[in-house]
Amino acid sequence: MTVVEGMPPTTVTLRRNFWRGVGRVMRRKPSRMVGVGIVLVFVFMGIFGPLLYPNPLPRDDNALYASPSWAHPFGTDFEGTDVLALVVTGTRYVLLAGLTTAVITVALGTVIGLLAGFHRGRWDTVLMRLTDLQLTIPGLPLLLVLSTVWKFTSPIEMGVVLGLLGWGGIARAVRSQSLSLRERGFIEAAKGLGLSTRHIIGRELLPSMAPYIAMNMLIAVTGAIYAQVGLFFLGVLPFDANNWGVMLNLSVFGGGALSSTAALPYLLAPLLAILLLTLGIVLVVDAMDEIFNPRLREE
Amino acid sequence: MRRLAAIAAVAVIATVTGTACSGVGGSGEAGVYTTIDGAKQIDATAPINPFNPQGNTFLGYDAMSLAWPKNDPVDPNLFYPGIAQSWTTTPDQSQVVVHLQPNAKWSDGKPVTSEDVKTSIGLAYTQGGTAYAVDPKAAGAAADVIVVDAHTLKVTQGANKSNTFLRNVLSTVVVPAHVFGSLLPADFWTQLKLARGTGPAAEKAKATITGLAQKVITFAPAKDVSAGPFVLERVNPGEALLVKNKHFWASDKIAPKMVKVLNYTGNQQIWNYLIAGRLDSAPFTATPSGVLNRIRQTDGNEVVKGFSPVAVSMAFNQTKAPYDNVHVRKALAYLIDRSQVTKVASPEGGTPSPTTTGIHSESAKSWLGNSENGLDQYKLDPAKAAQELKAAGMKQVNGKWTMPDGSPWVVELHVPASFSDWVAAAKAITSQLNDHGIQASVLTSADYTLYLDELAAGKYDIGLWLMALGPAPYNIYQRIYGSANGWQLLAGNLTHVAPGTQGNWMGGPETVDGVNPGALTNQLNAATPAQQKQIVGTLATLTNQNLPMIQLYDYVNTQFVNDSRFTGWPPNDSDMLRLPAGVWMQLGLIKQQGAR
Repeated sequence: MTVVEGMPPTTVTLRRNFWRGVGRVMRRKPSRMVGVGIVLVFVFMGIFGPLLYPNPLPRDDNALYASPSWAHPFGTDFEGTDVLALVVTGTRYVLLAGLTTAVITVALGTVIGLLAGFHRGRWDTVLMRLTDLQLTIPGLPLLLVLSTVWKFTSPIEMGVVLGLLGWGGIARAVRSQSLSLRERGFIEAAKGLGLSTRHIIGRELLPSMAPYIAMNMLIAVTGAIYAQVGLFFLGVLPFDANNWGVMLNLSVFGGGALSSTAALPYLLAPLLAILLLTLGIVLVVDAMDEIFNPRLREE
Repeated sequence: MRRLAAIAAVAVIATVTGTACSGVGGSGEAGVYTTIDGAKQIDATAPINPFNPQGNTFLGYDAMSLAWPKNDPVDPNLFYPGIAQSWTTTPDQSQVVVHLQPNAKWSDGKPVTSEDVKTSIGLAYTQGGTAYAVDPKAAGAAADVIVVDAHTLKVTQGANKSNTFLRNVLSTVVVPAHVFGSLLPADFWTQLKLARGTGPAAEKAKATITGLAQKVITFAPAKDVSAGPFVLERVNPGEALLVKNKHFWASDKIAPKMVKVLNYTGNQQIWNYLIAGRLDSAPFTATPSGVLNRIRQTDGNEVVKGFSPVAVSMAFNQTKAPYDNVHVRKALAYLIDRSQVTKVASPEGGTPSPTTTGIHSESAKSWLGNSENGLDQYKLDPAKAAQELKAAGMKQVNGKWTMPDGSPWVVELHVPASFSDWVAAAKAITSQLNDHGIQASVLTSADYTLYLDELAAGKYDIGLWLMALGPAPYNIYQRIYGSANGWQLLAGNLTHVAPGTQGNWMGGPETVDGVNPGALTNQLNAATPAQQKQIVGTLATLTNQNLPMIQLYDYVNTQFVNDSRFTGWPPNDSDMLRLPAGVWMQLGLIKQQGAR
């Protein structure tokens, strides 16, 4: 047995058992492996996609809205640019905005939910009224108004705004979990030992909720993808030819993809990308659900 | 919120998809003519009032002008008769005499008289406008309206003459005095006379007249009273139904028993109507090639093309470096392949502009003749572009052009997101510029109103801009040397405001090589045809050399007709294609399919 230096043998054993459990979960349903594969492909596209193609992407004036072929599996766009290349190079913006949104949503939602649920009293009242306020803000109209003054040229800006508008639900859910956990024995024991609030929240409460938070984070990514692509599709956000939402917009309103077949592949490619990415995330969440199930860990 | 956004996006797709599947099979009702109104979408809550921009009246069907402009590429004073059977004017257009159709009647059986026209003119004064400006010093403002007899009316022009006076008078929309007349106070014409003077009484009278504007716009008659071939029967959010007006003076010429005007939310819905064969005719609708081919496959559908006095340009904000330098503007002109831009943006509805003159290429043939050949064509020439950029002091570093001080140069091209052909054109232009080492990107605005506001506020370096809005040469050049470029015409006085102020976003110089293009443009208003030709020649050359904008493509009036139910359409290049189908019917063109 190899023992990692500086780490007690029991920790190493637990970690090894955990990864064995992960392996078992993944093998139990091969679709989960497919999900991980899909997510990894999109992450690869997001990191290396723009490096795979020349910048700017080549155009062919004689192949506007070309049909699918070996050279162009999803045809070409209005300018004769390969649609697959547009989808691949556009992945980075979508993923970055999605991840930023998810991180902000989860971080804000978790902190506010934990503090409100653990402290209760005034903390709870103030933080939950703040959460209620956030939940009452109509997101789409606000974004439509914001888009007139803010151009959202970077995915981080997009993600920050979507994140700030989307943490309310998670905050409420985390608060509920905290209210339940704070009555459990181990929290009572920690309080009895005189441990600090920081320790109790950070080392006792948070790890118990980590799986739930992690799954919410992944689901938040899909939500953010829908939201940003929807906004780009509506034409209220800046033009970027390889943005999936812009592609959907141009294929429908510029190419008439819903009225003729010429621009249909141009419409289907980003739709398929969104579908696959969502499917991948859902399958990974399914796997995570079982991995973090305490009964599984006992096996 | 995120879900809401996603639902909204999906809902849009679902709506469009639903539309694509609806209505297949055509209207199929005998004698029902189905079309759309290209000027507006239907708002079922709007009043039956032609003065209301959203009003449920339809020009050519139940809303009637004195006459219908042919929009001839050169002569703006050619018309087809409307409520006016004929008209005469003096050579300087100081007086226009209008003779009404002797048998014209309203749909309630009452005759159309000169009093109706006078009341309509009075109502037009409340809205302001070219011929009916309260300010007597305004160019082309009417001075007096005299009822000669029940069917004859004389309108005289004020001291500041305009050669578009006849056009503006004949464009008057006529409404029944017995319905709309109560909107005008009994002493309206006395108030108007007072308002044309000076002093507190005049100001008070002016305020009284302009104060009527909202009352006129919001007036909602209980039912439609029309002098046109049709009268509105009912309207709902999906469509407006008009039935034949049995009192129309030429009702024997009108083949359809009813007209159904369908509502639409966007171009794709019009495409779907056309693919389904539901429309007997449709006015100009920007249509991609694939969709056009699909529309052509529907039984009976045909495409008719003609002249459209509109072009698209890429206009510069000359208050911003480096676009204040003519060499930079010329360099960009040499780097843009307009044919390729047109092929990408508007292959069916546009032709690449042969050069930049400010005029639609069809009109330019008549206005400029052979002199057009002497103008710089700005054909794709990267070598010349490089020379021009160097002349402007721009630097090339590692294949990329930079500003003279070495700082990055990024061309930002602005377009409204809702204009799909403009978005495609802008993308094609930026791709071409990037190919030649100029960093360029497209920036979109959420909607056209916001776009125009931000453009006027000087927030953009370069924006796409409609131009060549003829046929009157003054209107054509007013788009380049008008208020957007600093020239303001107030009470007959032309002034030039400083760049970046009062909507002067183009920021061009007041004079170029000793020529004041704004003043020349203003002279077009009162010039004789020979003088106009000379001025237009000067302005075209100046525009070609100074390039306040780069003319990209000229629109082609691409319309759709369907032979299944009706026939007798205007042929290609007919001037009638620039008029609503209701006017075609008035002129006796449209017949029931199979009728003899």
